[in-house]
Amino acid sequence: MGEVIVITSGKGGVGKTTTAANLGAGLAYLGKKVALVDTDIGLRNLDMALGLENRIVFDIVDVTSGNCRLRQALIKDKRLDGLHLLPAAQTKDKTAVNPEQMQALCDDLRKEFEYIIIDCPAGIEQGFRNAIAGADKAIVITTPEVSAVRDADRIIGLLEASELREPTLIINRIRPKMVRQGDMMSIEDIIDILAIDLLGVIPEDEMIVITTNRGEPVVLDQGSRLGQSYRNIVKRILGEDVPLMSLDEGGFFRKIRKMFGME
Amino acid sequence: MAISKGSNNSPFPKHAADQEDLVDENTILVQRTLRSGQTISYHGNVVVLGDVNPGAEISAAGNVIVMGALRGVVHAGAGGDENAIVMAFKLQPTQLRISDHITRPPDNEAVDTDHPEMARIKDGVVTIEAFQTPAERQAKP
Repeated sequence: MGEVIVITSGKGGVGKTTTAANLGAGLAYLGKKVALVDTDIGLRNLDMALGLENRIVFDIVDVTSGNCRLRQALIKDKRLDGLHLLPAAQTKDKTAVNPEQMQALCDDLRKEFEYIIIDCPAGIEQGFRNAIAGADKAIVITTPEVSAVRDADRIIGLLEASELREPTLIINRIRPKMVRQGDMMSIEDIIDILAIDLLGVIPEDEMIVITTNRGEPVVLDQGSRLGQSYRNIVKRILGEDVPLMSLDEGGFFRKIRKMFGME
Repeated sequence: MAISKGSNNSPFPKHAADQEDLVDENTILVQRTLRSGQTISYHGNVVVLGDVNPGAEISAAGNVIVMGALRGVVHAGAGGDENAIVMAFKLQPTQLRISDHITRPPDNEAVDTDHPEMARIKDGVVTIEAFQTPAERQAKP
């Protein structure tokens, strides 16, 4: 029996789709059978984050309305054997699916996959209600900005009200230097307001622009610190206790700078 | 201490609020943090055992007491009671209203106080002062 995890945030643009793609790829890389589901109907992006947009024949609306079987719509990832994508529809909108259909879809996916990761759209309306309908657990993504944290708080309230208790938190795009200077919210500031367990922290990194444009999840890049932060989160999802990575730049350069009194 | 029995034989006297300093209004106890978008509206006093996050709103006909950080919008004395107070361990609301007075924190960098504070109307103006227990008030020279 698989586990359905929904990745949500409230605020748009904080990294739900990127995180969903990377967590899915990371789990599949470790040998798990993973299904990624894009519920952002009308504004689909998850297929692009994986570089699979040219392979879409059927989508989630085709499945829920009975035009095709689930098997036909699932796209196998081009790199990883265990990773499959159920893309959203681009030519419809979020009223094309309802929560009951989503629940049935998740029940079907549970039979075949160990992890089902649902990429939730921004907002608190029909798209959100659809995305959480079949979920067992929720991961909330936020950036260290007051507006994102405000929206995350709203989302957590809605999750708790719909029985998705104890969501976990990922803080994305943190800049340790700005936090040190007091220009950016710290991890402690954010947890003080949101009061949920921290699953992981992902640093701001230009590589995200490059890897998402290319459709190559950075979690697969063994030499990347950014990829390492995603890999750590994947391990924590699997139950391993991984300490938070030090987000500052490599130790050597930091020591040199300290020697010259530059920090 | 003798417990006077009411005519219904319960240990609680029927008219507990005969004395002036006992406020006899209904009070609800909110036993969790209020998150953004959540509201409490009550015709009486509201006590919150937790925080009130920004984006949450409390509207009470009576007093509002928050045993935590009050960071949302609060309205005490919503029915017109100018004697209503707002008290919090950390009083940092985005907007504070008592009766028909509406106030907000100053635009410049707010002072982060670490002691409980109380807001009430004094001489027609909403004033915020450090919350002192009667003993502390007595101790002042």
